[in-house]
Amino acid sequence: MTGIDNDVRLRIYEAFLADGRPPTHADTAAALGIAPDDASDAYSRLAEQRVIVLAPGTLTIWMANPLSASPTAFWVETPRGGYWGNCIWDAFGVVAMLGDSGTVKTSCPDCGEPMELRVAGGELEPTEGVAHFAVPARHWWENIGYT
Amino acid sequence: MLAFRSEAHVERWCAQRRIEHGEVFSLEQAWGLGRDWYADRLSPDWRRRTPEEAESIFAALGLTGDFWRLS
Repeated sequence: MTGIDNDVRLRIYEAFLADGRPPTHADTAAALGIAPDDASDAYSRLAEQRVIVLAPGTLTIWMANPLSASPTAFWVETPRGGYWGNCIWDAFGVVAMLGDSGTVKTSCPDCGEPMELRVAGGELEPTEGVAHFAVPARHWWENIGYT
Repeated sequence: MLAFRSEAHVERWCAQRRIEHGEVFSLEQAWGLGRDWYADRLSPDWRRRTPEEAESIFAALGLTGDFWRLS
């Protein structure tokens, strides 16, 4: 990854974690002291490389995995703050990205029963439940929102 | 990827919604995916994993078979 793309990538995460929402390309340009066009080009390249996901037809960040800009069924509470994860994998990823402890709050899609999955000291506390992945790995990026 | 209370709940949900039944695995394995995939995401040295590297992570967690193949 080139220097500017990595700088933009790191700034996106830094701002997303600080503000609870992703930065616009103009925000990122101002923070890094680069031209808005350079930031927008970097956003597009990062999306092409599947590092971030933009809302279709826009430069608005939808996902900077494991974080989601839109509310999801996976709310993650960490010592750093609360964030939306894109799925159960990403929700655990938010915990891991920020340390070794946190709680994922979701619910069973079938019955709606709330589920709290707690990670402490890098270990998942025993909880009744399973994970289900409908889409085989080689098809994940054909429709990442569904995946 | 979603979390369910049990495999029976997965089967009922897939049948009712006509969603293809994919892979069911433990929450511990899902936590392992989150940990092993994302722990380094904020590192300046992070880069996308190759398909082979990704498959190695899956295999180390016991997630093997055609469903998990990327290459």
